[in-house]
Amino acid sequence: MKRPAWISNWDAFICAVAVAVLLIGFLAFKNFGSAFNISQMIAGVSERALIVLPMMLLLITRDIDLSVASTLALTSVVLGLLLQAGMPLAPAIVLTLVSGGLLGAFNGALVTVVGLPSLVVTLGTMALFRGIGYMLLGSGSVNVLPDALLDFGFTNVAGLPVPWTIVPFLVILPIFAVVLHRTILGRRIFAIGGNPMTALYSGISVERIRFGLFVFSGVICSIAGIIYTARLANARANNAFGMELDVITIAMLGGVSVFGGKGGVVGVVGALCLVALIRNLLGINGVGGDAQSTLIGIMLIAALLAGTFVPRVVASARRRRDNKVLGGTRNA
Amino acid sequence: MLKRTLLATVCTAVLLTGAAQAQDCLTEPGTIGFLPKLDTDPYFQVANDGAKEAAGEMGGTVIQAAPSQATAEAQVEFINNLVAQQVDVIAISGNDANAVAPALKRAAANGVRVISYDSDVAQGARTVFVNQALGSSLAEMMLQSMNDMIGKGKFAILSSTPTATNQNAWIEQMRGELDSNPDYSGLELVTVVYGEESEQVNQQQALALAQTYPDLKGIIVPAGIGLPAAARALEEAGMTGQIKLTGLAPASLIRKYIEDGSVQDIWWNVTDLGYLAYHAAQAVAMCKITGEEGETFDAGRLGSYTVGKAGEVVLGPAKIVTPENVDEFKF
Repeated sequence: MKRPAWISNWDAFICAVAVAVLLIGFLAFKNFGSAFNISQMIAGVSERALIVLPMMLLLITRDIDLSVASTLALTSVVLGLLLQAGMPLAPAIVLTLVSGGLLGAFNGALVTVVGLPSLVVTLGTMALFRGIGYMLLGSGSVNVLPDALLDFGFTNVAGLPVPWTIVPFLVILPIFAVVLHRTILGRRIFAIGGNPMTALYSGISVERIRFGLFVFSGVICSIAGIIYTARLANARANNAFGMELDVITIAMLGGVSVFGGKGGVVGVVGALCLVALIRNLLGINGVGGDAQSTLIGIMLIAALLAGTFVPRVVASARRRRDNKVLGGTRNA
Repeated sequence: MLKRTLLATVCTAVLLTGAAQAQDCLTEPGTIGFLPKLDTDPYFQVANDGAKEAAGEMGGTVIQAAPSQATAEAQVEFINNLVAQQVDVIAISGNDANAVAPALKRAAANGVRVISYDSDVAQGARTVFVNQALGSSLAEMMLQSMNDMIGKGKFAILSSTPTATNQNAWIEQMRGELDSNPDYSGLELVTVVYGEESEQVNQQQALALAQTYPDLKGIIVPAGIGLPAAARALEEAGMTGQIKLTGLAPASLIRKYIEDGSVQDIWWNVTDLGYLAYHAAQAVAMCKITGEEGETFDAGRLGSYTVGKAGEVVLGPAKIVTPENVDEFKF
């Protein structure tokens, strides 16, 4: 069976590595396969899994959103304050999603209307959004939350080692994958990243799509904010501190290029699984956080090197072979 | 509300494991998983040496692993890892008292007991809290140390931030003592300034105090980062010994100033903290203590300890570190 065009060599490779690590986990570590460990490992990536989706889109269009973790924190604070003020859960969630969209629109407007580079804009809002969170809630927290929200954060889908917190991602992922790889909008997103000027002159409303992606990022971050609040039973301004770097690492390990125009859902999901598996396997073998981060860093560098050099080596090998074939025929 | 949460957690645990394991009382020492605030913090490495020493004496196993960031979220992952490793007791120094509580309760529902040490977690989420020293005794001792060194004259306080809860409580207590205790009648507190948890600001503030109050005899620095910084600043300004310092800081960081008598320090034996935490954890694992006030357990070379109010076990009074006893403090 031929591999579909939307799965690159890298996607296949990273997924194969993830599957290999998964098998090693089951075979070599007796603590790994327990339902508790599996479910908690999945729960631990619930927010990153969501946020990496808009992040990959922004990277594909040559943008970036460094404010994702701060947006998560601020929307978590908003949710906490609304619930503390006595608002029922459903409207509070709706307002939280709206506030996420507004934060994303603020980023998007500065980038597309004012024309500032997204790296600088979101570097600023990364500090700004978290700062507003601290202004609203101080260093305190809201930890008295409705039971429905807490149950969502703590329980598994009936009988399976699958926590409810990962379900929003599982619902969004297939829609996301189809839109990116099978629709006109998806092709336009790739086109913008491939060459923005060409995309513009081809009649694609580049700025509108970029703006929309920032809003999308904000909304997804607010969903992640709700999940985070439920999972840790805590709304506070320092939630998810430093998560933006994890998310960017996962996107790049998944083969999304910072130079735009390149990336796929399969590779990113593979990278997400790989990072979660490696952290978990190291963790249950008593390896501390610093060593884990070091190893993830080495993996990222190795992946970037492989991504740069392997195609060159392959190309030069192919050239040499072709030359030889040509030379051979000439000699004969 | 809390009950519902707990119930939900227990239900989760049942779903997760098929059946929640009962918390059997161990008959011999088991495995204790230490979860400090931060992975490579030397403070916790020294505490871990104490835990290992205790394990060498009484048996059982110590494992220690911690996140690279001092956040509750990162700690939750390590709580789960320790549960997956089926440790008997988790001993945690909480990054955030409330945010780690649900994960600790889930751990408990999976048959893992929990104690806290160094930094407490929500009371409902642990059996006992092994505290290094009572806050009230620390304030008293800082004042006593200043009195020892200068006897009579003006002193200032260089605290951490204006909003630091424990520091403010100590300062209040010191003011009260100065007003009411005739032992300190010779001491005059001239001002309270703040080093903002920054080495540089602490240095500047220490020098500013020296300039503003030419007859200043001493500074109390009740913040770990400030005392070494102030000592270095005074040394560079050639004022070592002229203004005496005391406060809270790891003794090893200011050892040379303690040895020359220009600085004293209130500190505790960090190794003993780990040693005591290990004994407390094993006592919990073997059901010798359940966190009720008045229960007692044996802690090897440290003797017998009693559980106090709210499940608190206090290592003991801190010590004033002087040239005579500085060798006792390995951290």
